Amino acid sequence: MTAIIGAGIDRVDAALKVTGSANYPNDVAYPGLAHAALVRATVAAGRIRAIDTSAAEAAPGVLTVITHLTAPRLDRGPMTLLGPSPPAPIQDDRILHHGQHVAIVVADSPERARHAASLVRVEYETVKALLDLDDPRAEVTANPWNLDTDRGDVAAGFAAADVVVEGTYTTPDNTNNPLGLMSTVAIWHGDSLTVHDSTQWPHNVRTSLAKIFKVPESGIRVLAPYVGGGFGAGLRMWPHVILTVLAAREVGRPVKLVLTRPEMFTSVGHRPHSVMRFKLGATRDGRLMAIDADGVSPVAMEDDDYEPVSLCAATAYGCSHVRTRDRQVRLNIPCPGSMRAPAEGQGNFGLESAVDELAHALGMDPLELRLRNFAQADPESGLPWSSNALRECYRLGAERFGWSRRTPQPGSMREGRWLIGYGMAAVSYPAYQVPCQARASLHRDGSAFVRSAATDIGTGTYTVMTQLAAESLGLDVSRVRFDLGDSDMPYSPQAGGSGLTGALGNAVHLACRRLVGDVLDLVRDDANSPLRGMKLDDVTVDQGRVHRVGIPEQGEAYSDILARHGVEELSADGRSIPPRSEDLGMAVAGAFGAKFVEVRVDPDLGLLRVARVVSAIDGGRVLNEKTATSQIVGGTVGGISQAMFEDTATDRETGRIANATFGDYLIPVNADIPDIDVIFVGEPDPATPIGTKGVGEVGLVGLAAAIANAVHHATGRRIRTLPITIDQLML
Amino acid sequence: MEVTLNVNGSAHPLRLDARVTLLDALRDHLGLTGAKKGCDQGACGACTVLLDGRRVVACLTLAAQCEEREVTTIEALSEEGTPHPVQAAFARHDAFQCGYCTPGQIMSAVALLAEGRAGSEEEIREFMSGNLCRCGAYPNIRKAIRDVAEEG
Ligand code: FES
Ligand code: FES
Repeated sequence: MTAIIGAGIDRVDAALKVTGSANYPNDVAYPGLAHAALVRATVAAGRIRAIDTSAAEAAPGVLTVITHLTAPRLDRGPMTLLGPSPPAPIQDDRILHHGQHVAIVVADSPERARHAASLVRVEYETVKALLDLDDPRAEVTANPWNLDTDRGDVAAGFAAADVVVEGTYTTPDNTNNPLGLMSTVAIWHGDSLTVHDSTQWPHNVRTSLAKIFKVPESGIRVLAPYVGGGFGAGLRMWPHVILTVLAAREVGRPVKLVLTRPEMFTSVGHRPHSVMRFKLGATRDGRLMAIDADGVSPVAMEDDDYEPVSLCAATAYGCSHVRTRDRQVRLNIPCPGSMRAPAEGQGNFGLESAVDELAHALGMDPLELRLRNFAQADPESGLPWSSNALRECYRLGAERFGWSRRTPQPGSMREGRWLIGYGMAAVSYPAYQVPCQARASLHRDGSAFVRSAATDIGTGTYTVMTQLAAESLGLDVSRVRFDLGDSDMPYSPQAGGSGLTGALGNAVHLACRRLVGDVLDLVRDDANSPLRGMKLDDVTVDQGRVHRVGIPEQGEAYSDILARHGVEELSADGRSIPPRSEDLGMAVAGAFGAKFVEVRVDPDLGLLRVARVVSAIDGGRVLNEKTATSQIVGGTVGGISQAMFEDTATDRETGRIANATFGDYLIPVNADIPDIDVIFVGEPDPATPIGTKGVGEVGLVGLAAAIANAVHHATGRRIRTLPITIDQLML
Repeated sequence: MEVTLNVNGSAHPLRLDARVTLLDALRDHLGLTGAKKGCDQGACGACTVLLDGRRVVACLTLAAQCEEREVTTIEALSEEGTPHPVQAAFARHDAFQCGYCTPGQIMSAVALLAEGRAGSEEEIREFMSGNLCRCGAYPNIRKAIRDVAEEG
């Protein structure tokens, strides 16, 4: 059999996507569909003194205007895997951030809804907003996630060090900005509810709406077959979803809300800015003796976010003395939330810049310094890694890149008027997985249908799960359909934390194995079957047949078995449970990566260009070379974007985001992105049957540090503040 | 307001609010949801369609301006189930992830090729820079377009 796994087959949803027929939530239409528009606060802190909706209500086509004065009292959504739900919207007159939803308007057309929304008059009583991490009035929480690390004796480690470097690194707010405007369409039928939503987690939307609207989960169906990207913005069920569902109940018609691009900056989370300090000490021969890291990030007044930015320092290197400290400060800001590689994306910039500074101070090649401090075992638990090919990433990445051509002195490489810089960074991405379920059905004709309520936010889930099921059932991929994005399907966790492929893949694998077991059960006492009495371990599957291991003649086709037994369809469920390091005696490893970057700097104009990138990745078993490469390429573009472009600018006085459009908020365009070289190294990870390690985030992490380090190599200038901009580079 | 839109070869008489953009007319009134809305401000290219053969961002074009002009959308590209060469190349090169920018990218690419502006890597980079892809599929988008350009 030709290998199904690993093969770079085209996406199974490619035909839909290239013809414009993939159905995203805002493509959905219903007869009698009404349209919603939001009214947002124009101050960052205070109260609504008065809200006048009369002009809006009188405007043509308007069906309702709901404000805190008319909205029913709603419970807060439930505690989730990812922390508390956001507070319910429009429950009182308090304003906690600029852009907070204060009303929803529904009309018979989008134009009329938008126009009416502009007629709502709100008067505010304003207080001075908390907008600064250093504001002494702000509430600070130390160790908010209980993840602060104390390993060994940091003071003793520094005392034994010959060289110590220390730097403060800052990263700005970044906004996820998936290209798809996040949308919700809600339709009530009595007590049952259908919702089309741009979510990365349909079950969470179902569970949350059931609690908030006090209806049974069994009556709610959430659909997200296609989502226009997410990057974390769709992990939580944000307040606008609640408002849309509320509005639909109010007007007794289906209601659609499409967030505007400016609303995308204040409604669905963002990567919070951070200030981080990293201090590293090493012996003269480059042995890391101590790491001391701390970080601080903001969070919204009454919400929650997970961003332990200093934590990456705990496990990246084999170092006996490590301290990490994180703090969170409550400000009058829209709530931050996970954005592709939350915390790691920021922390790695600080840590890997500091490692480069240390290499420079030691007069040592930064690659050599990293190799010398490779963590042989998981530094926290002391357990051996389930797999760790970081050294191969270093070696093969460096080879492909031509790292040996680097001359150590900053400013020593030139081409015409361009200064050339080579920089690198390492990534050790944490493993994350949660339970997941899938169901596999075999039809009478021997084809299979497999499904789970997961989402494919561009990650290739449809495709790789089709491949996995095909492999596990011994079918051609054309004989397997995998479906997702529907909360009526078996439970799936969120597409996030680089955890879905592993969780779902193992569930699919298990369901398919069970299904083959059920087929064997059918023929257990079947005198006509060459498989009579066989167990799962006795057989293998291939080309739509089950046969005895090693003896292809002794077997028969699924279709023959099902037909002979008069079975139309056979189904089996699989449930994956995350592997635990304690049980395995191995530290369950996430992905690893080494990033190599060449930049060119024009010293007169301050121009910075990324000329080349090589990403060497240990992602465990690669299910599909093509889609996995795209994940890394896309992550790399996100990393370049973080390094050089993205910066959500909030006005320090008013709390208003000053650049909340695609015209003003910079992200790379085609011309900004060079070709990106991706190498996969490593082996299938033995911690789970399918052997994958998630690759959704490891692609992004490390780029910012590698680019900053390359800029230092080109110019001698150390940039510790993202994004790296022209003014920082004018020499 | 009465306006007749000629879309993909057929005429559609519509009664529209004067504020309705070509994009919303296509999506909300004709059910042609292939063109996407990524910003509604002319900044992302997701809504790119052809107007008399030239690329326009449909979110900044009023439907009323399109009377007596020919609108071509992604829905018209493949003929009887056979994908257009650009569509096939996008699939082959995995030139998308979430797929949201893809109809706009493909319409831009088709126009680029027709205008003879896809002769080199540099041209493609430059002339495709009006179409944002937040998933970062740019390198594969270039490969797909080059492939079609070289096939002639
Ligand atoms: S939606 Fe038209 S350019 Fe973005
Ligand atoms: S494929 Fe997602 S925005 Fe381009």
